[in-house]
Amino acid sequence: MRVILLPRTLFIVLSVACLLAVWLSLALGPVSLPLMDTLRACLRLMGLPVAGDHLQQAELILGQIRVPRTLLGLAVGAVLALSGVAMQGLFRNPLADPGLVGVSSGAALGAAVAIVAGASLGGIPEALAPYLLSIFAFAGGLLVTGIVYRLGRRDGQTSVGIMLLAGVAMTALAGSIIGLFTYLADDAALRTLTFWNLGTLNGASYARLWPLLLVCVLVILWLPRRAKALNALLLGESEARHLGIEVERLKRELILCIALGVGAAVAAAGLIGFVGLIVPHLVRLIAGPDHRVVLPASALAGASLLLFADVFARLVLAPAELPIGIVTVFIGAPFFLFLLVRGRT
Amino acid sequence: MRFVAKLTVILTGLLFTHLASADTQPPARWVSAGGALTEWVVALGGESKLVGIDTTSQHPESIKSLPSIGYQRQLSSEGILSLRPTILVGTEEMGPPPVLEQLRAAGVKVEVFCAAAEMTALQGNLQKLGVLLGNETQARELTEQYERRLDGQHNWVAQAQQRRSAPGVLLLVSHAGAAPMVAGVGTVGDWLIKQAGGRNLATHTGYKVFSAEAMAGLSPEVLVFTDRAQNGASSRDALFRENPLLAATRAARDNRLVEVDPTLLVGGLGPRLPDAIKTLAKAFYPADTALNAKVTPAQ
Repeated sequence: MRVILLPRTLFIVLSVACLLAVWLSLALGPVSLPLMDTLRACLRLMGLPVAGDHLQQAELILGQIRVPRTLLGLAVGAVLALSGVAMQGLFRNPLADPGLVGVSSGAALGAAVAIVAGASLGGIPEALAPYLLSIFAFAGGLLVTGIVYRLGRRDGQTSVGIMLLAGVAMTALAGSIIGLFTYLADDAALRTLTFWNLGTLNGASYARLWPLLLVCVLVILWLPRRAKALNALLLGESEARHLGIEVERLKRELILCIALGVGAAVAAAGLIGFVGLIVPHLVRLIAGPDHRVVLPASALAGASLLLFADVFARLVLAPAELPIGIVTVFIGAPFFLFLLVRGRT
Repeated sequence: MRFVAKLTVILTGLLFTHLASADTQPPARWVSAGGALTEWVVALGGESKLVGIDTTSQHPESIKSLPSIGYQRQLSSEGILSLRPTILVGTEEMGPPPVLEQLRAAGVKVEVFCAAAEMTALQGNLQKLGVLLGNETQARELTEQYERRLDGQHNWVAQAQQRRSAPGVLLLVSHAGAAPMVAGVGTVGDWLIKQAGGRNLATHTGYKVFSAEAMAGLSPEVLVFTDRAQNGASSRDALFRENPLLAATRAARDNRLVEVDPTLLVGGLGPRLPDAIKTLAKAFYPADTALNAKVTPAQ
């Protein structure tokens, strides 16, 4: 594979793109704020003594709406992209996406249960009620991934092939149960479910954000440390073992990271498709297959893509808003196709 | 942590300044989410105060030029704030909850109304709207008028039923004729059928997709249909093209098919429903149309 950009150039480009995305995400929205007000309000939110009594509205919009939204976008984008790299490395399959081990469908199942049957479950503490959907989605993702992992284990070995098939079957099973809940749902629950499936960063608040950020930061810090092991795994499992990699432990770690990271991302923002599949490919097309580059670069690229998509989603129909899942695919897919066609000539 | 503390101060400040102003005068800039509710705001003379509506608000025609805040369940906090509203009204279907919290924190008054298809819900809603719009007298008048029209309709139905038993009815909501959903218990559609003196053959709750066979099996005497994509003859043709079995029902044989406007069925009881009830009742008891003119109060 031809390397288009050297790693160092790529990192500079991606960092600039990411900073630009963060700035756009803070500066643009349906409420138009003057550029200087945005800047001043940002500084004031960081605790700097900047004069400006007329900045109340700007501070409110930045502090309560745009900052949490931007943080959520960064975390979700980075985690989805990193999990995508980990999946494709683990399964040595370019079509693997984080949904393959059942984490997305498990989370969707949890969400469907919470949306449709949540009210009739009863016995839920008052304080937990607003987070019911997120908790169920997270738990559903972990549970289904856990089952898939258990099914893939045989004689102390984890067979990636069996896991893949088990993942497909569990996804289908979860899909049919979601279908059942969709049928049982009333009109209101049905619409909520539909929109949840398209994902959104809308309504991000600090209370919902901290648990997710914690999980995401852990995953973002942890996965790039496994870059060398993933590189070895590219050669094949037994080759990696000969190179001194504890393959079983690596698999366990990767699955756990993916389940935690994607589970948390999905629980906070709904299903956002395609980022996990397409971003790693994009980065590999540009920079080659070395995981030491692909992992951190994918995290940056995923975060930037999601923020750009979110800015687009909130502006294009303002004051209404597009679900972000529609936009990520809409931006990502044509760009990916362009790179594919370009790579061939 | 410092900026969190700062924010709290700012938020409380904003809240108090806002509360102070809200107490003295009725809200001036309205955003309305929920079809029937928007119609009531307009009926109570609030049209000039509306600055934004959701996608379910389709009536009257004149409000369609207002900015759309999207679907009522998927509101965007910043999008709504960009309209600088003082109040957001909607039914309990409005959401998601975190967005409503953010709007409240930004000083927007968020008022939730009841979307249940019941007269008591409507009375409560109208009274509340009247207070908020500073137009309580008219709200009371509209409520009484609505009740009078329904009462008149009930009398008419009672008389008509002495001659003819209540027909079995199904109300179908479809999209270009495909996969019709049947209105069950608790829906506005069900309320509409009952008020017009029909017997809803569907006993499930909410809207459910029925197979053509199940619909034909219930052998409805009247079919009420509504289509989100088409209207008039084309929607009727689409319904029978997609569900040929329906053509064998008694309703189709006797040509007892009534179309209603799909926007009538969203967001609780709206101001146009009494007219729709009258149309339906005429179709349910066709021989008694002459009586209809006599008993229904002039309006």
